[in-house]
Amino acid sequence: MLRGIKLDEKKSMSFKDEIVDFSVPNRVYVPLINANIECECTVKKGRKVRKGSIIGIRKDIDFPILSPVSGTVLGTKKCMYLNGKEVECVVIVNDKNEKVIKKKLVKDITSYTKDEFVELLKKCSVTGMGGGDFPTYLKYQKKLDILIVNAVECEPYITADAMLVKLKSEAILESINAIMKINKIKKCFIAYEKNNKIIEDSFLEYIDNYKNIVLYPVKDMYPMGWGRYVVKSVLGLEYDKYPSEIGVVVNNVSTIFAIYKVLKFQRNITKRIITITGEGFTEPVNVLVKIGTNMSTIIKKLGKYKEEEELKLIAGGPMMGVSLPSDNVVVSSNLGAITIIPDTFDEINDCMSCGRCLNVCPVNICPIFILNNIKDVEKLKKLHPEKCIECGACSYICPSKIGLRDAVKIAKKKVDKK
Amino acid sequence: MKFKVENGPHVKSEETTSKIMTRFLISLTPIVCFAIFKNCLLNYYYSSVTFIEAIHPMLMIISAVLTSFISELLYFKFILKDTWENSFYEINRSFTIIPGLLLALVLPPNTPIWLVIFGAFISNILGKMLFGGFGQNIFNPALLGYLFISVSYSSLMGSPLNAYEIDTLAGATPLSNLSNLNYYGTYEEVVGSFGTFLNFFVGTIPGTLGETSKMLIIISFIYLIATKTIKWRIPVMYILTAFIMTLIIGHNIELGIWYALFSILSGGLLFGAVFMATDPVTSPITPIGQTFYGISLGILTIVLRFLTPYPEGVMTSILFMNMLVPLFDKIGLYFKENIKKIWILIILFIALIILSVTTISNNIKNLNNENASNPLDNKVKIVKKEKKDNETIYSVTSKAWGIIKADVKVVDGKIENISITDSSGETQWNEIEKNDYINKIIERQDDIDNVDAISGSTYTSDGLKNIVKKIIESELEDEG
Repeated sequence: MLRGIKLDEKKSMSFKDEIVDFSVPNRVYVPLINANIECECTVKKGRKVRKGSIIGIRKDIDFPILSPVSGTVLGTKKCMYLNGKEVECVVIVNDKNEKVIKKKLVKDITSYTKDEFVELLKKCSVTGMGGGDFPTYLKYQKKLDILIVNAVECEPYITADAMLVKLKSEAILESINAIMKINKIKKCFIAYEKNNKIIEDSFLEYIDNYKNIVLYPVKDMYPMGWGRYVVKSVLGLEYDKYPSEIGVVVNNVSTIFAIYKVLKFQRNITKRIITITGEGFTEPVNVLVKIGTNMSTIIKKLGKYKEEEELKLIAGGPMMGVSLPSDNVVVSSNLGAITIIPDTFDEINDCMSCGRCLNVCPVNICPIFILNNIKDVEKLKKLHPEKCIECGACSYICPSKIGLRDAVKIAKKKVDKK
Repeated sequence: MKFKVENGPHVKSEETTSKIMTRFLISLTPIVCFAIFKNCLLNYYYSSVTFIEAIHPMLMIISAVLTSFISELLYFKFILKDTWENSFYEINRSFTIIPGLLLALVLPPNTPIWLVIFGAFISNILGKMLFGGFGQNIFNPALLGYLFISVSYSSLMGSPLNAYEIDTLAGATPLSNLSNLNYYGTYEEVVGSFGTFLNFFVGTIPGTLGETSKMLIIISFIYLIATKTIKWRIPVMYILTAFIMTLIIGHNIELGIWYALFSILSGGLLFGAVFMATDPVTSPITPIGQTFYGISLGILTIVLRFLTPYPEGVMTSILFMNMLVPLFDKIGLYFKENIKKIWILIILFIALIILSVTTISNNIKNLNNENASNPLDNKVKIVKKEKKDNETIYSVTSKAWGIIKADVKVVDGKIENISITDSSGETQWNEIEKNDYINKIIERQDDIDNVDAISGSTYTSDGLKNIVKKIIESELEDEG
């Protein structure tokens, strides 16, 4: 059984017909981090770089960080990353010439072999754009049978993926087709939330040309976009650690579009769509930005904060996003939204033992028991806090407004240590 | 611009503790209204009670609620040394009137006001505040208050019958009537004395203030489930278990489905299952725990009803099971991880049900077979018999609630005097004295079968009547 919560989606707020193009920043700050692992800087101050030049490297798997602009390296600087921490970033002055290392245009994007494909994904630094930031090439190393495209944008407020699908559905389908041919994948499912008619209609326009790609509406629920849930509701299957164990690969729809660019132009993705939204902001909209842009410069140009109330600025959606002290956050490929909402004061009461947190937990653990036994590591082990995916459904549903997710996070660390 | 930094999630559900408790109170309103309608308005209309007597049940509810409110307020102010402002704020968060209200609803309509106040005080202070306040208590506060006053002042609790019911009904609640019949009787005897099942459903039968109208309780139950206010598994499993068990018992003693229906529609079963057993604080959190908690409540209640002299059993079961809540949560956690082993639990509970159902059925059969051979021999024993001329003194013991011991003086075959030597086992003895019942049965000894029992103390009345019957029997034998 899939457990979760029903949320007020509030997506219409930011969904406009057009996106606003802010993709020519004066400077970019490219965070030297991949999947929360710090990377090393490989360029020195004053070095001229082009789009696609290697500026950093993740040592353990030899995974490159590439420049999104052409220009001059100014050095490194600590900037705020989407998790609220200061991360070393390469500062590049944009010369706005958009020069690339090697100009290329591939006509038939299905003409790659599997090895070439995997090599290209690595060379072009493709990572999961849904939030995980996991290097995508790792997912394609095994033999695969089924591709699931995750277009389930289950966080409220955010419409970045929906916007991308609306604008680029044809390219996305083309990309899926190429991935399937290259990897000899027999079947593809595009999973999206049942009530998201924009995604459905955008794909329906072109999907008739592709026999093996199926649109698959899933339950309109949070956290339906979680990989395991997508696989479970589409295929009815479960897996231990990675979906590749059962021959399945799950990619976010933005990642699929990034792969399209990679296959077509053989270079890295340099822009992405970000939703700037929330009741605390005057002009909720989707914007197109360069990786490494400082969000504050864009927000300043775009609109104003509603300063009558105390506001929270969240990198990502309100459920899993992290609230930040300022808007000086740099864009990374896994940042999907900036949500600005008024701070709501929640009065915390004693637990009334209603059991709602157990009923909504997608990984079927017992948040309230974990909180009650937070000091006893032996008991904690039996309650399996390590299963938690930090979706926050327990904290959301709690009528006493107890911070259950925080407690489970602490318990997770305690159990990990032992 | 500076933003507030806080741990997520940054949106929270609209549901709050106070909304849940408010919905709980809303669901109780129709029941309170019906209690006042039945016990105040109907009583005033159909009998000759005074206005003050008629509004007595209403005063019970008001005084219970006020006591809860005031005692908790004073506790915050004087024991916890809060400011007045803070104390008001705190009692607002601790849903202070619920224990008092629930207590009033499980009391018979004739309970003295001072006892209600005492009970409500115990409920809130002993049952809740001394445990650490809302969310910390182990026992359902209202039930703890109920237990306290029913144990210490059982004789003062008052009859469950209203003035107009005393005139028309056999003089007992449906459940005590059933237990007087040794749990066996025809539909006419068991249900018919109180009307039809429609009376049970609407609520025009004797009982405590809140428990009688099953229809309203069911409506409230649906409302509470639809709004996700209570843990639905507990009442559903509780009632289902009780129903299935009495269905099998009924089948074993060759009675129809009505017997099971009677069991769940009489007494406080529905009220207790819906409003008391589901108290979130004092019930299990895990779904599996809740399911088996409900089943255990059903088993325990039926066992208490049929195997002990207490005809009700609901309140006692819930209070007892409150203690085992942590155990049921442990069971729930264990079987959540080992769901494949759940059949062990299922088999265990089925065995438990079969065991108790067989014991109960056999017990009912034995009780009624004894009665068939000679009912009186088992109940009244002549210990000593002294004859002097035309005068005989009998020393007898009679099974009533406890054992009554008496010396009976017979002159010329007529009972002249009954002197009770021991009535300590009888909790409702004061009712006997109040009604001058002993003289009544002496006066009407030739017509003893038609002397009514005193409502609220039927066991004792029957015990006394049996003495008269036995003596007459014995005198007839002597003559013959």
